[in-house]
Amino acid sequence: MNIRTMLAASTAILLAGAASADTMKIGITQNNVGVDSYQTTYEKAFIAAADANADIEAVVLDAGGDVARQIAQMEDLIQQEVDAIIIWPTNGEAVIPAVRKAQKAGIPVVVTNSNIAEAGFDFIKSFSGPDNITQGARSAEIMCDKFKDMGIADEAQVVHITGQPGYTTAIERAKGFEDRLPEVCPNVTIVDTQPGDWNREKSQQVMEAFLVKYDDIDGVYAGDDNMGVGALNAAKAAGRDGIIFVGATNFAVGYEAMAAGDYWGSIYQSPVDDAEAALQTAVDILSGKDIPFLNYFDTPKITQDNMDEFTKPVF
Amino acid sequence: MPETSQHAQNPREGMMATLSKEQIGRVLAKQGILIAFAIFLVAFTIANPKFLSVDNVFSVVRSSAILGVMALGVTFVVISGNLDLSVGSMMSFSTIVVLDLHDTLGPLLAIPAMFAMTMALGALIGFLVGYLRLNSLIVTLGMLSAIHGLTLTYSGGQNMDIADKEGTWFGVFGQGSALGIPVPILIFALLAALLGLVLGKTPFGRKIYAVGGNGTAATFSGIRRARTVFSCYLISSACVATAGLMQASRSLGSQNTVGQGLELEVLAAVILGGASLMGGSGTIFKTVIGVLILGFIQNGLLLLGLQFYVQFVVTWVIIILAVWLDIAAKRGKLWSPIA
Repeated sequence: MNIRTMLAASTAILLAGAASADTMKIGITQNNVGVDSYQTTYEKAFIAAADANADIEAVVLDAGGDVARQIAQMEDLIQQEVDAIIIWPTNGEAVIPAVRKAQKAGIPVVVTNSNIAEAGFDFIKSFSGPDNITQGARSAEIMCDKFKDMGIADEAQVVHITGQPGYTTAIERAKGFEDRLPEVCPNVTIVDTQPGDWNREKSQQVMEAFLVKYDDIDGVYAGDDNMGVGALNAAKAAGRDGIIFVGATNFAVGYEAMAAGDYWGSIYQSPVDDAEAALQTAVDILSGKDIPFLNYFDTPKITQDNMDEFTKPVF
Repeated sequence: MPETSQHAQNPREGMMATLSKEQIGRVLAKQGILIAFAIFLVAFTIANPKFLSVDNVFSVVRSSAILGVMALGVTFVVISGNLDLSVGSMMSFSTIVVLDLHDTLGPLLAIPAMFAMTMALGALIGFLVGYLRLNSLIVTLGMLSAIHGLTLTYSGGQNMDIADKEGTWFGVFGQGSALGIPVPILIFALLAALLGLVLGKTPFGRKIYAVGGNGTAATFSGIRRARTVFSCYLISSACVATAGLMQASRSLGSQNTVGQGLELEVLAAVILGGASLMGGSGTIFKTVIGVLILGFIQNGLLLLGLQFYVQFVVTWVIIILAVWLDIAAKRGKLWSPIA
């Protein structure tokens, strides 16, 4: 250890001591609570985690999906002189100036769940959230392993239903899946890709068209379980059995379909873990701990085989 | 462009030799949108023969039925000279409500209770537009987000799912079939027939055209305009409730945002069918054609396997083509600059 790191470490310890003397005031501006169960559960978990720690005073705000409101909330939090700000960006580009303003005011910013655009990376301390590329890759592995078990890894045909076009999460998961699948199962072909817009009904319509178009479909990869279950409903209605469904972000409906034996696997991403990781990241920064810039929380594989190890998602 | 128009005109000139010019003109003027529809069907079928297979046609019409039922109601509102942009979030509302009540009240009570709540919203809009004479665009645009908020408050933001999916008969409206035809298609067809009769063959229907076509004249003819407009919104909300029922029944679970954005698709279908945004014209039959065109375009593009970014653009091009063919048929010429 050289002198500089020792100095930095001791300063950090001093700072940490100073910070823990009084409470940490942490503000969060969320994307759109209430629009889906994930975000609703996230907020509840965040408040619960903040309440459980006597040293934390949380200011919990929600932008309602509105960029302008989120920027105003950032400014409010800066005015209130909070110790750290957590932001769930409504828009990866538009919030950058507000994030920069916080950084200039000396307030560390943590981005949660979905990252801001790279242009803003200099102004934030850390990103806390899921690694969507890994999620896509893991879904590919789940599907490939199942094909190998079934002995169809040399001929299987897969259709891919993506999230909303243009969304980072959708793009990253699709990339992870499409890059990884040929590595683990080189002879499996992805015959078609269409967006399901994170919407169960839309996904069901897309799958109906796929079922008409292709007489032979062995696997479906959907960007989340909501869409996966939509596709499953379409296959059931058409009486097409034996298709392997793999999703991501395990939803309660996906979990139930797995329990019923209709749906093979997914990626377990808990909004509770997401919220707690974000808060912990902010606390660690304020305590002077060294944290990675991309601070991913683990999102494990879940299939019919190991689902007993996981509790049913609440959303 | 001039080249295209001549090309398209030539076959018509040829046909006119056998039939009288007037007859052809009259048929074309009335059924322009139908002709456009037929052209698309043929084109898509040539591209992929599976397009007109029984399975695919059933699945497209079934998917379109929910949008279609909503469009039937909105046709009434549009003919009366108003707009309804709230139908998308109203549909989310009725879907979420009926799913929740299914587990608390049981399906038999849940359905009428949901209809009552949804139609209360329709009555409120009808009251504001009809009796307080507020602008329908402003009222329903406001209701679009107000009802969305209401839905979120009701559900606490959570997805709504029926707990016991295997043990309920509730799925019949969305998944069942009778006489080999999916129930959603039957509901759509029956409602279209019923509302088509109401609009086309009853005094009430004629009043709606009168109110939308020339409100002042309607008043002088002794028509109570407020009541007519109010009734149109009530009919629209009843259609939305039916659509919500079908949606809930189809997937036995739903997101809060299930109807989001549908208001514009519904309006597009109604206008595509040839109803005037200014009111006073349009028919149920043409709305049905508009709905089917939208449904078949979406499905046809999926079967073609076009990259999806391109699909947005192609959808627009096809809609413009359809509207142009319709207008051109009415005017009897393809090229008609503003003069």
